[in-house]
Amino acid sequence: MVDESVAKQLVQVIIDNLPEPVPGRRPVHTIGMGVKGKFVASDVARTYCIAEHFNGQPVEVSMRFSNGMGGLKQHDGWSDVRGMAVRFHLSDGTASDLIATTLGEFFVRNVEDFFEFSKVAKLQPYQRRHWLLKILDYLQLKVPPRNPNPNETESIDAGVLGYADRHRFSQLGIFQVGQIGAPESYARASYHAVHTFWVTAPDGVRRPVRFSWQPVAGVRNIDAEDVSRDKYLFNELEDRLKRWPARFMLMMTIGEEGDALDDPTKPWPGTRLRVAMGTLTLIEVAKNQDEDGERISFNPNRLAPGIEPSDDPILKARLGAYEVSREMRGGCPFKWRQDNAHTK
Amino acid sequence: MPIQSDERPIDRWVDGLPKTSFFEFVAARILVPFWAWWTPVKPLPGGPHPSFQRGDNVQCMMNLVMPLKDKSPVGRTLAALAIAQNKDAIYAGLNNVGTVHFARFVIVNDNICMFSVYDGDFTNYIRDFIATIGSVFNAVVGLVEDGEKVIPCEQNVEAFIQWVHERDLYQVPDTATDFLRDQEALNGDEAVSPVNDDLTLLPRKLILQLRANANVSLGNGYRAYPGFSAAQVRERLGLGW
Repeated sequence: MVDESVAKQLVQVIIDNLPEPVPGRRPVHTIGMGVKGKFVASDVARTYCIAEHFNGQPVEVSMRFSNGMGGLKQHDGWSDVRGMAVRFHLSDGTASDLIATTLGEFFVRNVEDFFEFSKVAKLQPYQRRHWLLKILDYLQLKVPPRNPNPNETESIDAGVLGYADRHRFSQLGIFQVGQIGAPESYARASYHAVHTFWVTAPDGVRRPVRFSWQPVAGVRNIDAEDVSRDKYLFNELEDRLKRWPARFMLMMTIGEEGDALDDPTKPWPGTRLRVAMGTLTLIEVAKNQDEDGERISFNPNRLAPGIEPSDDPILKARLGAYEVSREMRGGCPFKWRQDNAHTK
Repeated sequence: MPIQSDERPIDRWVDGLPKTSFFEFVAARILVPFWAWWTPVKPLPGGPHPSFQRGDNVQCMMNLVMPLKDKSPVGRTLAALAIAQNKDAIYAGLNNVGTVHFARFVIVNDNICMFSVYDGDFTNYIRDFIATIGSVFNAVVGLVEDGEKVIPCEQNVEAFIQWVHERDLYQVPDTATDFLRDQEALNGDEAVSPVNDDLTLLPRKLILQLRANANVSLGNGYRAYPGFSAAQVRERLGLGW
């Protein structure tokens, strides 16, 4: 496990980079909503993983959708990473969490990279690029920097781009962030858990895997020009679930020898075996948003027996950082399984 | 808070400029040729990336685009007949080679195209097909520009394999940055962090590559059941051999 002081530093550098820190709330993914649902594993899931939620019995699920930005300003229409944290409630009162975002790959490999990234990815004044410079970009066959969003006066874009120019491992994740857009609905985006996990099958075979949620309703973004729509995602999901449940398929990709098991910046090829592990049905927006949307605390290392974290340094760092963040904001602690070697 | 905007009419006009026919004309006639001359790029090679990993060696894609010698309806008809007349030979070859998921022949303008999905090594795939349906290749390649150099393919096996490889389309990776890595590898650039890249040049690099490589495959195929060979599919479906 990453040293607790390092975990505190990780959280602090995130807070230090915020335009307006919000004590008592998440430093990033601040704006979010809790949702209740059920997960039912596919017929084949149990042959790949012995974890309880893959045995085919319906499992109660708590989840939280979120916008990636930190702070209380809600800008649903801005291009931003979205989060989908899912808690599978197990029969013994413990749980297995799966935290995913719309970002396919992460942009740093380890804690050292993250600290360096945090130093350069600072908020700077952000203005519309002068039209003459844009024409110069066109003449060089470059795409000019994006226009500022409505009322946006600061951005980390320049520092992030500079970091990507110096570090090829970061380029895919940062490029994806630049292209990510805004979803029409939280239920119309794909979410990726980014890290590698090890799952154990009933015959004892352990496999490296990566998980993704794919929306049954399909992926759809709003028009990129429609950035002024600040608040629509909560109401959209609430209205959607009143009409009909929304569903996601949990897809599990199985890695092979030679694939990046401990590096979340590297994608796996699309040629890897992909197994449908089950269907998550979103039933209703949680009635108690303070409890189920704010105080609920997830951790990507909270895993059911049968699933283990890989040696991915970012995954290891998230164990402590999420707990530090939870304590700082007074989040609700949750029971960990007894044999979890990563339990604090 | 009311939304403030500093957008002026000139900004709006400049933002929309790339979509105007004037800019498209300038880009196609002046900017792209200029940058292609000033910063020349090598065409990236076709076919799948060499890989030791099992999953990368099943369901491989071949996308051949072959310009017909006779660029007229008659030439296209001759190509269509060459395929139709050899239907039995093609099925016999598919069944005997056993590593092909599907193969398609398509005429696009003045090109005859062969798109196929196969398992295993590219050279073995072509070699097996030469052995089983060399006559079909001879019939088709005889109608194609520069094809006479490599037929009969049974007597020019290595030259024929090379000829096919040169016409197999570059498979643009699914991720934009993997495209950059392909270009760097082609140029012998194996630098690691810190480097001094300029990600804003990505559009130009892609434009110039697509100028050098006008026909490409977008991605290397989107698979519904990745990782399974034709033999495994046949076995699990109980289709026999």
